[in-house]
Amino acid sequence: MSGELLNDPAALDAGARDALERFILSLADGKRLLGIRYSDWLLGAPSIEAGIAASSMCQDEWGHARLLYAMLKDFGRDPVAVEHDRPAEAYANPCVLDRPAEDWAELVSFMVLVDGALSTVLEGFAAGRWELATSRVPKMLAEEAFHRDLGTAWYARLAGGSAEAQERLRTSTERMLPRLLAWLDPDDEDAHVLAGAGLAAEGARNRERFAEAVGPSLALLEIDVATVEPDRADWDATRRRGPGRPDDDAVERARGDRNRALFVE
Amino acid sequence: MREEVFDVFARKERGEPLRHIGYVDAPDAALARVYAWNTYDEERWFEMCVVPRAAIIPVNRTDGPFAANAKGGAA
Repeated sequence: MSGELLNDPAALDAGARDALERFILSLADGKRLLGIRYSDWLLGAPSIEAGIAASSMCQDEWGHARLLYAMLKDFGRDPVAVEHDRPAEAYANPCVLDRPAEDWAELVSFMVLVDGALSTVLEGFAAGRWELATSRVPKMLAEEAFHRDLGTAWYARLAGGSAEAQERLRTSTERMLPRLLAWLDPDDEDAHVLAGAGLAAEGARNRERFAEAVGPSLALLEIDVATVEPDRADWDATRRRGPGRPDDDAVERARGDRNRALFVE
Repeated sequence: MREEVFDVFARKERGEPLRHIGYVDAPDAALARVYAWNTYDEERWFEMCVVPRAAIIPVNRTDGPFAANAKGGAA
């Protein structure tokens, strides 16, 4: 992508401005929910070191979410209200994050597939014309390198492990892959507007890069990303996600309800 | 899942000696590198390395933490 860098939403036409705002919110909510899903495993991971790694990734995701929410200020949104006052139905995270990982194999699939999809889309954002993304996102992606290494190593370990480990990994992978491919390539108006304006990568390009990144891991289970069809059923273009909403517990934690009640009138 | 001990060495500045800063338990080297980085990330390290403890061969004593490696050389 090329062209003059942009830093003022007013320089965009209304369609591109609204699409960019929805796009940034979907990335921020994805990071926030993924952080919560990592945080569920601080005490249940297979080893202390794996728990520390989950904790570290949780901190990274929440830091990235905070930076992305802050970008919405330029669109007239109050980041505090966005972070703390929205109902679950307004969350724009990828729908595969709507519920916690049921086991470590599913969390490893989150590391490889969901974190991988988020990074793929962020790479396109960083290479585009939105100036704040070009300055802030590369550091996020540098931190993500360790998430990718951890996920890749664990995916290989489980794929080469017991029959039960392989089956659990396969089940979680096959469950989330079609929805994530739709998230990478929504094929909706917003996606075409953003790509046309040079603000994000084309959906097909996202899928190619995602396949390059995660393909070797999935090949260990003889899953070929190229043969999986995106599941765009009931796609919600307004929230840039599939149907549903995150569970109440996750949203209450994302908003900080329980403890904010102590000091916010 | 069988794990082994990896010792972690790091230096803060170019030219400083690597020093032992701790260890991690990991099933393989790929996970050991990530665990080391996540576990010992309170400081800004210029360089960090992990070494399988079984690969450290003691030279002048046989009663230290690497004593098991003394006979027969590297594990």
